[in-house]
Amino acid sequence: MKILEIENLSKSFESKFEVVSDCTFNIQAGNICAIVGESGSGKTTLFRLIAGLERPDKGTIRINGTLMSSDKFIRDIKDRNVGLVFQDFSLFPHLTVKENIEFGLNKNKDEKVEKLLQTIKMENFPNRYPNELSGGQQQRVSLARSLAMDPDLLLLDEPFSSLDTQLKSKIRQELRDIIKKIGISSVFITHDIIDALEIADEIIFMDNGKIIRQCLIEDVFKEIKDEKIQNNMVELKKNAELILNALKKN
Amino acid sequence: MFLKIKHFKRDFNKWTLLIVALSLFLAIPIFSILISLFSGNGEMWEHITSYFLFDYIKNSAILIFGTGLLTFTIGTSSAWIVAKYTFKYKKVIEWLLFMPLAIPSYIVAYTYVGLIGYGGTFIEILRDFGLSINRIEMMNIYGLIWVLSFSLYPYVYAGTRTIFQSYPSQLKHTASLLGVSNKKYFFSVALPLASPGIIGGMFLVFMEVLNDYGAAKYYGVNTFTTGIFRTWTALEDLQSSIYLSAILVILVFILVLIVKWLRGRRSYNLKQTNAIHKNEIKRTKLSGLKRILYLGILLVPILFGFILPLMQLVIWGIQTFDSMFNYDLIILGLESLSLGLSTALLVVFLACLLIYLSKWNYFKQFNVFSKIATLGYVIPGAIIGVGIIRTSKSLTDLFSFQFNLEIGHLVYNSILVLIYAYMFRFIAVAYNSIEGNTLKLGKNLSESSYLLGYGKIKTFFKIDFPLLKNALISSFVLVLIDVMKELPLTLILKPYNLSTLAVRAYEYAEDERVAEAALPALFLIFLIGTMITLLNYKLKENK
Repeated sequence: MKILEIENLSKSFESKFEVVSDCTFNIQAGNICAIVGESGSGKTTLFRLIAGLERPDKGTIRINGTLMSSDKFIRDIKDRNVGLVFQDFSLFPHLTVKENIEFGLNKNKDEKVEKLLQTIKMENFPNRYPNELSGGQQQRVSLARSLAMDPDLLLLDEPFSSLDTQLKSKIRQELRDIIKKIGISSVFITHDIIDALEIADEIIFMDNGKIIRQCLIEDVFKEIKDEKIQNNMVELKKNAELILNALKKN
Repeated sequence: MFLKIKHFKRDFNKWTLLIVALSLFLAIPIFSILISLFSGNGEMWEHITSYFLFDYIKNSAILIFGTGLLTFTIGTSSAWIVAKYTFKYKKVIEWLLFMPLAIPSYIVAYTYVGLIGYGGTFIEILRDFGLSINRIEMMNIYGLIWVLSFSLYPYVYAGTRTIFQSYPSQLKHTASLLGVSNKKYFFSVALPLASPGIIGGMFLVFMEVLNDYGAAKYYGVNTFTTGIFRTWTALEDLQSSIYLSAILVILVFILVLIVKWLRGRRSYNLKQTNAIHKNEIKRTKLSGLKRILYLGILLVPILFGFILPLMQLVIWGIQTFDSMFNYDLIILGLESLSLGLSTALLVVFLACLLIYLSKWNYFKQFNVFSKIATLGYVIPGAIIGVGIIRTSKSLTDLFSFQFNLEIGHLVYNSILVLIYAYMFRFIAVAYNSIEGNTLKLGKNLSESSYLLGYGKIKTFFKIDFPLLKNALISSFVLVLIDVMKELPLTLILKPYNLSTLAVRAYEYAEDERVAEAALPALFLIFLIGTMITLLNYKLKENK
């Protein structure tokens, strides 16, 4: 079953240059998908289009089989049931951890917040303010806030970019564990292929606003002709740049 | 553009309609003047161009040049000393440097005549010392430049001080390592980097100079604003006053273009190149001869812009206290305050509405309308007043001829018209300040709220409002001060049964009863001073 279906999606801003150009792809339900591309490749705009924060020039977006936008129709952001964790986490600074998580909830607030706090291992800090948390903790709260809404699709914008290298590896695994435990379909964007290789089930490569390749994680190995890289995961990570270039050439 | 038309039905929403409607409603005075230009000139236009127009242009230009030079010198020098040095009583001096803003410039103008005119306080002191001097002539264009400069320099001081204070010490260290002297550092690094603040402050000074009516009228200097009044009231030629207003609007837009050109495309943002932390900004302690000299430089504007005028007002206030301090004065003060409070509340609300409607509207091209609605601050009050009178006349004529309804008394004698005029004149004050703060907030917070199921209005009240609260309070106080000081617009549009402290002080001074103007003026200064102090306190709390 497809959770996300994008067809011929394009978007340009003031200039005629298309930031997202004729993109078509699908994502399977339950998967974690990484959209990988360099800065300026259009991945953030693509994300914002999916979330409903930008309005497409053409093309259609369907989430869980429901039409979200087309040339004639736009579903309101709040009716899309999409969760988005921003790169800067965007926690409401005047609200506590608990208040942030329960912000979008109408019923069973306490029960749900408690459960989520346990999931993100923050049960001891419900009354802290965002400025009293570390970067990793802020990210987990932001994730919990999105998950509280039981979204059909979770979007994560460069989730590891503001974390230091040591913390990154730990958080990657934590994030994958939480997402898999809840079983939600997720898409995240990153410029770092190692992020994608570590936690994604499938990868979409994006360049100059276009989708240049989509493959399952195990197929990334098949795509690369170099046997050394194919047979050794450590080598694969070391040669991330090589992989990206090879995929672009292919 | 084709795509936008294609998506018109999809992307057009109620916010688009509202922003256009609200902006057009607010900008009626401007459209009114522009449309009137096509109705031909007035009967007195030839007379005005033959005898007055050159004077208006010449005097306005001299005023702008003179006040520009003086406010630049006073504003930047005091800002530099305050930003770079520490000294005893610095906080008090910093506060005093802002205080000239509490005294409207036309009141400062009256006090100078009381100080150094015939039988003036200062002249009497000099005579006591045996100097046979009758007066120092103030009531000319140079006196006006002096008065306006010492009243308005805080605009330059405020903007420049903030920039000077943000310079990290490493900037000075880099210059020193390159062998640059202190003097060269100031003129070739510090001053050019502060140019956005200086230019911004001076632009506000120019707008205030062009808006001034009370001081110029009292000193007998013919400027555009006094000319607009005279043409309309003495010569009874509304159409010619509209023509004069249009010329002034053109001059103002030339000034706006010059300011834009001066700013250019250069970046003055130190954040791009230097990490600025509080501990990187070091201040030198003033000592010895330098301390006397620099403190002297700071005391000059405080003395001439605040202490001397205030002292003269207090002397007059004591002299006239018994006859002037009464129940009426208290009521007048309360009327002024309530007019200011209600207007400021409405202005802040409308400014928020304009800002957020622009955000919520998907046709960004239509946001140009919100910019038109905020042009009021660069258009002198007299012009706005004339624009509104012109619109009111068209409206009453329309109702009279088409529906046989006489609505003149509703339009000409309504406090609502006055409040509307204030809204157009001062909305930019609140708009710019709040918009700057919304930009700092960014869009991710509100977008997060939308994604969590909240609508736009609910998001505003739950997220933006609490985070913008301080900016809203600051804007509210700034508008309140402006409304309470405003004179030309109030004089033109106020209902006959309403007065303000500013108008009452002006009326007494016009009647050659300057001393009796003191108590209303002091009451006004007390209220404005309290507002400035509260605002300062709030801003410090924010830091």
